[in-house]
Amino acid sequence: MRHLDDEALHALARREPDAVKYFREHLATACEACESFLATHSGPDVLDGQVDAVLLALAPPRSDAPLDEVGFARVRRRLRAPRLDTRKWGLIAGAVAAGLLAVVVVPRLRQGGTGVEVGTASQEPGVKGQVGRIALELAVVVRGADGSLRRLDPDTQVDSRDVLLLRYHATEAGTALLFQQRAGEEPQLLGPFALEAGTHDLQDPQGLSGVSLEGESGPLTLWLAASPTGLQPSVDEVKRVLVGEGERWEQGMLAVTRFDVRVRSSQNPR
Amino acid sequence: MGSTEGLAEWVRRAASGETSAFSELYRRTRPLVARLMAGFAPLDPDEVEDVIQETFVRAFRALPRLKEAGAFEAWLLSIARNRARTRLERKASVRRLEDDIADPEPETVPALPEALQLERDIEVVRQLISELPEGEEKRTVQLFYIEGELSAREIAEQLGVGKSAVTMRLERFRGRIKRELLRRVLAGRWE
Ligand SMILES: [Zn+2]
Repeated sequence: MRHLDDEALHALARREPDAVKYFREHLATACEACESFLATHSGPDVLDGQVDAVLLALAPPRSDAPLDEVGFARVRRRLRAPRLDTRKWGLIAGAVAAGLLAVVVVPRLRQGGTGVEVGTASQEPGVKGQVGRIALELAVVVRGADGSLRRLDPDTQVDSRDVLLLRYHATEAGTALLFQQRAGEEPQLLGPFALEAGTHDLQDPQGLSGVSLEGESGPLTLWLAASPTGLQPSVDEVKRVLVGEGERWEQGMLAVTRFDVRVRSSQNPR
Repeated sequence: MGSTEGLAEWVRRAASGETSAFSELYRRTRPLVARLMAGFAPLDPDEVEDVIQETFVRAFRALPRLKEAGAFEAWLLSIARNRARTRLERKASVRRLEDDIADPEPETVPALPEALQLERDIEVVRQLISELPEGEEKRTVQLFYIEGELSAREIAEQLGVGKSAVTMRLERFRGRIKRELLRRVLAGRWE
């Protein structure tokens, strides 16, 4: 007696008449061997998805759910970020960024006001923000279409084929939200991140996070807004702070850094 | 299930590059993928979130190559199950890190039967469940699939059994349903 195995599954996927005929009869009655094979192997085709669609349709229908904004932002960010060679970037950009961070002065205590400090001196690349208990600095390394890496000064021009890699320095562990904002538009969430104290590459559990500029042109601002562990402002609360409408969080525990670039759309897209 | 056609329209719009269509697809199908994940009791909430994310990243990347827009849901669920199983097997150290269960190629996903057929399949499965002998497996299946509220972890707690026992019961039952649906496919839909 022949039971399902990899070979049989392939034959069925190719609609081989003999296999179809044999298994049509064989599977008409319960078969422990075939059922356990089917339970632990995927296919043929999308039969697994069809089975699950039927099974999940047995329960009463659920009400229409709103969009899970954070979940979708994480997916979108990963779709936009080309896969990177983490180890290589870690070594090269780590060295680049370590040199950069070494010259950045320790952030001063904030003395009321905006909650966002904009660095102006040309020796101070990046922008620093410090509020309450967490202080944050951001360094940006750009990876060009040819794979080259260079440190980026704020407000410089980049190519739409470039990818921005972010490195941060935080005085405390916490959580951060990364946004991008085009001129005249609202900040758009790219995703949440866990921050560790010290200097680290911005990354999520899947690895290093790069911001692709594909499809962008004109001024673009990246915002990183961090709060200490345990305090988690909502996406909307943070957005209000970024557009200058925040109340509670502005005076509270949110540290905000920004980094501006000007994107030149590439004449030779891939 | 009447939403299948609506979903296919969003798939076509996403495939043609309309970015807002992706968020609509995500909004509509994430609950289904999350419910599928709720059956994998050994995965903790962070792992579940990762698997859901990876599922959508893979599906959205490959979506422009999907020939049959109407098959999106089944294809997405196939990817989700493969991702969850890969994660589980790595966790149990029976699968190496670089080794990955292959997802169905979007180009070769066939057209799927009409909604009417799905309704019939649902009735067949209901019948099969009602014919199960009274016992732990039937109770587990009713709680997870028919009532559809509790996760496999919660069911394990309620029944006082191990997490993986619940998932194993669900998988065993699912193997039977898969055999039945495969037989029906072989008996008619491919000829
Ligand atoms: Zn058999």
